[in-house]
Amino acid sequence: MLMNAADAEAGPDLEPRIATIGRELVAKMPTARRTPRAAVERRVMGAMVADPELRAAVFRFVDVRPACDDPRELARHLGELLAEADDSPLARRGAALADGPLTRRATAKAAALGVEQMAQRFIIGADARDALPAIEQLWRAGAATTVDLLGEATVTEEEAESYARRCEETLLTLHEASRAWPSRERLERDALGPLPRVNLSVKVSALTPLLRPAAPERGIAGARARLRRLLAVARDTGAHLHVDMESFDTREAIAELTLALLSEPEFADRPSAGIVLQAYLTESPRHLDRLLAWTREHPRAQPLTIRLVKGAYWDHETVEALQHGWTPPVFQDRRACDRNYEALTRRLIDAQADGRVRAAIASHNLRSIAHAAAYADARGLDVELQVLRGLGDETQAALLAAGRRVRAYCPIGDLVAGMAYLVRRLLENTSNDSFLRAQAEGVDLTTLLEQP
Amino acid sequence: MSATVPSPSTPASPRAFANEPVLELRRAEVRAAALEALAKLDATLPIEVPMLIGDELVRGEAFASVDPSAPERVVARAHAATAAHVDAAIGRATEAQRAWGATSAPERAALLRRAAELMRGQRTALAALAVRECGKPWPEADGDVCEAIDFLEYYATGAEALGRGRALIQLPGERNTMTYVPRGVTGVIAPWNFPLAILCGMTSAALATGNAVVVKPAEQAPACAKAVVDALHAAGVPHGALSLLPGGDEPGKALVADPRVHTIVFTGSCAAGLSILERAAKVEDNQFHIKKVVAEMGGKNVIIVDADADLDDVVPAVLSSAFGFAGQKCSAASRVLVHEHVADALAQRLIGAVATLKVGPAEDFATDVPPVIDAAARERVRDYTAQGAAAAARAAVATDAVPDADGFYVAPALLIGLPDEHPVIADEIFGPVLAMQAVRSIGEACDRVDAARFALTGGLFSRSPRTVEEVAARTPVGNLYVNREITGAMVGRQPFGGGRLSGTGPKAGGPDYLTQFVEARAVTENTVRHGLVV
Repeated sequence: MLMNAADAEAGPDLEPRIATIGRELVAKMPTARRTPRAAVERRVMGAMVADPELRAAVFRFVDVRPACDDPRELARHLGELLAEADDSPLARRGAALADGPLTRRATAKAAALGVEQMAQRFIIGADARDALPAIEQLWRAGAATTVDLLGEATVTEEEAESYARRCEETLLTLHEASRAWPSRERLERDALGPLPRVNLSVKVSALTPLLRPAAPERGIAGARARLRRLLAVARDTGAHLHVDMESFDTREAIAELTLALLSEPEFADRPSAGIVLQAYLTESPRHLDRLLAWTREHPRAQPLTIRLVKGAYWDHETVEALQHGWTPPVFQDRRACDRNYEALTRRLIDAQADGRVRAAIASHNLRSIAHAAAYADARGLDVELQVLRGLGDETQAALLAAGRRVRAYCPIGDLVAGMAYLVRRLLENTSNDSFLRAQAEGVDLTTLLEQP
Repeated sequence: MSATVPSPSTPASPRAFANEPVLELRRAEVRAAALEALAKLDATLPIEVPMLIGDELVRGEAFASVDPSAPERVVARAHAATAAHVDAAIGRATEAQRAWGATSAPERAALLRRAAELMRGQRTALAALAVRECGKPWPEADGDVCEAIDFLEYYATGAEALGRGRALIQLPGERNTMTYVPRGVTGVIAPWNFPLAILCGMTSAALATGNAVVVKPAEQAPACAKAVVDALHAAGVPHGALSLLPGGDEPGKALVADPRVHTIVFTGSCAAGLSILERAAKVEDNQFHIKKVVAEMGGKNVIIVDADADLDDVVPAVLSSAFGFAGQKCSAASRVLVHEHVADALAQRLIGAVATLKVGPAEDFATDVPPVIDAAARERVRDYTAQGAAAAARAAVATDAVPDADGFYVAPALLIGLPDEHPVIADEIFGPVLAMQAVRSIGEACDRVDAARFALTGGLFSRSPRTVEEVAARTPVGNLYVNREITGAMVGRQPFGGGRLSGTGPKAGGPDYLTQFVEARAVTENTVRHGLVV
């Protein structure tokens, strides 16, 4: 271990800088509601936060939406789900509309449309080609992207193969299109060298149906050939390939496979590649030890990118652990989690200063972002910040205005695939611990920027 | 003046009980510890399992239990009981019954909890034994140990509550009490598929309520039975109150027929269960009681998949329900009834998913489908699969997945579009064979479930609250699982057992189970003296 970073303080001198950067970012966020739709969504979100039964009904409707192809089925489900929320006056009104003989169809149609529009805000296109204009638009505006292909769960080899093919096609499509993009020096080079224009995030769980929690070697063997193929395509087209992290059950397999492949001679120099560190895992400091040890043993022409996230499976990890009688692998205390995020941020930025990794700080928490920016500034480094398409649009705009390097994580997929993603984002967005929720509820800036 | 009213009791308050946490096998260090326990066990094999009649170790004709993953490995050398041994064991139990029945419920509960503690101290060793003797893969073997511990704890708490009696209506001038007394000597006939848990659950329920027990374990799992009985003895259960008789049919039949036995607790096949019920109903000349049979029999469990189901969830849940432990659980799924709108999509995904299953030895963490229990089971499953594949519209039999080794391996099979009267649809196969049929509506699926002999577990995948409500209201099954796998019932959370020919239905691991082992006594005392209520 390099240092006992989890206990290290940011330093007393950093706090004023964090507060200043945070306030500047808020000042730069677009204040005028650009579209009436955004205002409606905000109201819906507000209603859901205040009304847990309605929230449950809405989630379940979003979840079942893709399975209802005819309007009658759609109306039936909407009515039944709203009827379950019988403590919620708003849901009762909705249920009456969804049950009324005259209003049934119209209500279901409006609800379905609402869901689709919401999904579209988070999803950048149905496929790579469809998404090209939006990706180029972001590039021109000064934001890089990483593209993520949504899809059904992989339960067969055929499905794994089809996902790998879609990834390949996406890399080629983006490679082709990106050549015509104008130059954006800020996005194409950092102190450690050139940065690829094309950036794809992949999921190992989609590359093989063989991931087994008690037998990581099966998932590793199952995904190895396909991930190697994608690394080769990325290398040959000069793209960046980023391996996403998923639930804790698969963490070991994903980390071991990724590092094993990147250790192979054919990938020693290229492509640019990355992995994810999940700060909500209590063991994440040790995971970072392992990654940094690997970077020392395997110096690369293109340093390994480590994307630091909080982690998106908190409910899943907690519920699974409680049902089995295990200690949850994730922090149960939000402030402890936030402190860990900051400690890991500093260690990553320190490692970037040594030239061994590229840090990518992915967060919608204003305090976490301001802390990363302040620490990077203090070390004289340019660190990449990442946001989710749809959820972090305002943060992205503020970061761009502040002249910082931003990458938007952009899911691509059809409606069916988008729903599971949308449900997760909605859950995150309206959960008790959500920073965005606190922000939306008008918690004052000093509190939001407080040291965790 | 009011008489003292016993406080109303709830057997086993859910707050007092928590399930034993299963091993976190997703962690490499936990897996390493498990393999270490297995290596340690291997060095001690074969385990000698004599009869335990009272405090006597008795030897008889020896027989072996073998490792289904490698049959040349002998796990136990057991000694088979004859009718004469049964007679002796019941004699000891009858002698012990009075003193054991007179102990207080808290005393007995304390012994059960001590046994739980002892088993907790040998978690991985016990799991390793189930891996070896019954070919149970680690997660299931460990689950078996945990469930055994759960039964001990749950029934300990339940027996204490039952020991406090039940509240009755009290009027001035009379004092009414109701208490429970043990029924008497209990015969336990246990299966091999949950060699620790079910044997331990049946035995500890009888002991907790003050009954002396004679245990006849499955022929395939004597060493697991010995481990449970040893733990109970070590905890302080008197030897006279708990005898162990390994063996085959003979001791089982003798146990059921003996007039001194009051209760027979059985888990196993439907045919064996029905014959026990029939034999137990006969009252001998010297027998002054009616025997009670608690029987947990077969299942032919159906998962219904509605048109609005999330197939991403359905496929893994169906796979684990049908093929986990090679389908050798009473609760295993053997039939899927899928709405015709999604039938083709589900068929395609399931066929592909069956091809990903790895058949292999139970001790290998990578194994999805372990061997079946013995050569006879292997032949039976192969016959059904061959018959089914010949008659099915589509079949996916993962023959390539079967290792070229001596274990009792069979290929997991998915058979699509068989007619209702086909044996694969009608019979309990107890192997990794899954039949799938399309239905026009969920109502039709329910009709088909209604037409079946068994009613143990069932599954439903639907995202419509009304459909869930309707199916739950009309299903005959004892355990309905909605939007999840249909195996893995937890003590205190999913009380387990079914109706129809699946059993007598008292729900093991539930709040009512212990009442099967007791008789109620009501006492009413007149408290009026000389016209005054005193």
